[in-house]
Amino acid sequence: MTLEKKENSYSICVGPVHPALKEPVKLNMEIDGEKVIGVDFELSQVHRGIEWAATRRNPLQVLFLAERICGICNMCHMLSFSRAIETIGDIHAPPRAEYIRVIGAELERIHSHILWAGVAAHELGFDSLMHYTWKLRENVLDTIEYITGNRITKGLITIGGVRHDIPEKKIPRILESVNFYYSHFDKMAKVFLNDPVIKSRTRDVGILSRRDALTTCAVGPTARASGVKKDVRKDEAYAAYQDFDVEPILPDAYTGEIHGDVYDRVLVRLLEVKQSAEIIEKAVKSMPKGPIAWEEKPAVILAKLKPLVGEGIGRHEAPRGEVIHYVKLVGEESPYSWKVRAPTYNNMMPWVPMLMGEQIADIPIIAASIDPCMSCTNRAVSADKTTTMYTMDQLRRLSFLKTRELKRGLGK
Amino acid sequence: MKAQEVLAGLKKEFGAAIRDATIQKNENNMKKKTVAERIWFHIGRKQLHDAVAYLCKKYPDPHFAVCSGYDLGKEIDILYHFTVNYGVRASEITITMHVLLPKKDAVVDTITDLIPGAIISEREMQEMLGIKVKNIPDGRRLFLDPSFPRGVYPWRKDETGPHKLIRNVHGGDSK
Amino acid sequence: MIDLLVARILMIVPVTVLGIFIGLLYKGIDRRLAARMQARIGPPLVQPFRDVKKLMLKENIVPRDAVAWVFNLMPFVALASSIVLLMYVPLFGYPPLLEGHGDLMLVLYMLMFPSLALVIGGFASSSPYATVGAQREMITMVSYEFPLAITIVALAWLVSATAPGAAAFSFSAITAIPVWHLVGVLGSIGLALLFAVIIFVTTGEMGEVPFDSAEAETEIAGGLLSEYSGRNLALFYLASAIKILVLGSVVIALFIPFGISGYAGLSGIAGEAADIGFFLVKLFIVMFISSTFIRVAAARFRITQVVKIYWGYTTMIALLGLVLIGLDIFMGVI
Repeated sequence: MTLEKKENSYSICVGPVHPALKEPVKLNMEIDGEKVIGVDFELSQVHRGIEWAATRRNPLQVLFLAERICGICNMCHMLSFSRAIETIGDIHAPPRAEYIRVIGAELERIHSHILWAGVAAHELGFDSLMHYTWKLRENVLDTIEYITGNRITKGLITIGGVRHDIPEKKIPRILESVNFYYSHFDKMAKVFLNDPVIKSRTRDVGILSRRDALTTCAVGPTARASGVKKDVRKDEAYAAYQDFDVEPILPDAYTGEIHGDVYDRVLVRLLEVKQSAEIIEKAVKSMPKGPIAWEEKPAVILAKLKPLVGEGIGRHEAPRGEVIHYVKLVGEESPYSWKVRAPTYNNMMPWVPMLMGEQIADIPIIAASIDPCMSCTNRAVSADKTTTMYTMDQLRRLSFLKTRELKRGLGK
Repeated sequence: MKAQEVLAGLKKEFGAAIRDATIQKNENNMKKKTVAERIWFHIGRKQLHDAVAYLCKKYPDPHFAVCSGYDLGKEIDILYHFTVNYGVRASEITITMHVLLPKKDAVVDTITDLIPGAIISEREMQEMLGIKVKNIPDGRRLFLDPSFPRGVYPWRKDETGPHKLIRNVHGGDSK
Repeated sequence: MIDLLVARILMIVPVTVLGIFIGLLYKGIDRRLAARMQARIGPPLVQPFRDVKKLMLKENIVPRDAVAWVFNLMPFVALASSIVLLMYVPLFGYPPLLEGHGDLMLVLYMLMFPSLALVIGGFASSSPYATVGAQREMITMVSYEFPLAITIVALAWLVSATAPGAAAFSFSAITAIPVWHLVGVLGSIGLALLFAVIIFVTTGEMGEVPFDSAEAETEIAGGLLSEYSGRNLALFYLASAIKILVLGSVVIALFIPFGISGYAGLSGIAGEAADIGFFLVKLFIVMFISSTFIRVAAARFRITQVVKIYWGYTTMIALLGLVLIGLDIFMGVI
């Protein structure tokens, strides 16, 4: 992947701070004229050390730490971590809880895909469409807030169940939201799939062949748009997904052909919004009765989890693709090891075949077409460049000083 | 395809190199039962490359999910997570290979010649656990900032670990 | 005669101030309307004035590797050439301030100056983003110049054919009788096509979406302007504000030079005021269609597509318009 210099070529770096990127990643491009002839990427711009921190916390605390890995698809990390622990302890969430998990996960998918659609429109310089899609997204966020009390970090899942029930009286609001997306789907599809300018900017741009998708281990919509039938919801049929017969959506369902280009990735995500709405509708209408958690008291959960020994994997199909968590427990209060693999981690290698030979103008939309989520992907302990290291108290004191200084400047 | 068959095939091919093999079953609690099967086993580092080659041959395009790993004191345990048989309802099988590497000679063969996408994981293992991947096509740092000190490996639990770099965050050593 | 020249020179300052004021105000209106069309509230109308004020206060940063004197000179060139342009176009229905010292051909060439200043400034700033942007801006300039030239040649031909002896390229000859009165049905269709072409070219001249690939925020981070800050950026901003007025006035002079006072039966100061108001309305319409509406309704084109659209489709339409007007002229002669 190291870049080779050619005569007359020059390099451009997109990122770590660039208007096209919503999160820091550095893409180094070797450019000849307007054509990309070399691709390399550098991570390491977000340092958080979450995995390390987890080895000093008990599983219930880690659960909420996991939720904070990603600002968009946070539920998928909670769910994957819970499932990993549940596998080790042979714990089974009650059916009603599994249904609520599915509803939560699918609501999250709708909001994440629509958010992405807006970003994609912005990358193409079509801001009107961005504002339109983000307006549509508000509806699902309101619904999520109505169910869980929060727009984004839902805190819905606990080990062996869920933390909030969805009572009967809240169901009409969810159905209303589902209908809202049914009724707006056609308009969105019309704009994204038939607008001539958008089509000319996305069709046959950033092609990822099926073979490349397989060898670079692509996951989620990125892989499906290239024709790889891969969807954890079907392959593992975990939680309540067995009841909904989820089929992986490939672009040929709509256009009859698979190009593996940006257009197909847009298409797959749009169709998945509809699919999610259908799953939610079915799930809400056929929710079984019963308890919502294997054990409700946190102290009891912790006591039962503490003696567990073993290792487990939890997987979930997040909006961007497969999330996989590996947890090793050794009978102590905290996990011995925890490994988080977010979908962007696997979807970065496909960038190389996608970007090769494309124009500079297409770099942003291609880079965005995998829906990159850098905070999910980066991991490291906090390090600093100089020898000075500030403690929490020192930082707090510094911020007090700064505030005081600013106040003086304002004449107060 | 059942996990039993997959494991039997692997055992037949590699014999004693496969140790501590178990099949973990993750059953869901619904009316329509589904079971997610997970195969776990240890394999010698010499046989790792052959085992991956075998998987690639027997089950075309196994999905390489990720590598995870941890420090066991004298040894480092690297886990290669694969999934095979995807695309069929409720029958994907997860295969995890443990590879134990002694700390003094923590070297493992690359599998990027078989699965090019594994390079991110291999680079991550190199910088996070301080192992050496033989014949890796690109061994530069990826996840750690260039300013991060050399010889410190964030996932190690011994003296080469990150403890000195962490103060007052995440309950780290405060001195 | 000398008094007249002195009077004209004295007028330069107020016209410049007025040009900047109107340009910034229209930028404010444009942003507000665009916001409303995108279901946003948008900034207040005075926002462009505040932006200029803020930019003037900010530090002026020159990149280490830049050619400093060229880098700092170009914003002045851009603003100065825009102001000069303002003197050569008919504003508010009055003849240009420097009438007789240059005609439409001069304006056509001068219009390239602000863009050229941007290109040179971009190259001088040493940033790869700016270099890419400068290359794209040059390509865009070359692309829209061709249909624009065809349009202007067609109009001059029409004027010279119908009014022999008049200076065909002078604004006074073109605005004397609205071009629509000179042609028959065929010619009207031709003129309508040319009108559409010039509106479309104006979008490119203003560097708005979908033809803003030279500045493309999400691709090359502002392109040409990515290294400019503070006072230099403010000067470019003012130049582009004046350019709105210049381009709008050219379009109005060529295609819609009608006054309203005659129809309304007003004369004296009331008539003048009505005509000035009507000019502002026309300017608003031209700006709304060529900038706000197209910008909100489209995604950004790649540079290759820009060339294809201007050299291919737009030029074809312009040529068709030219042919129709030509036919009209010949039929009129026969």
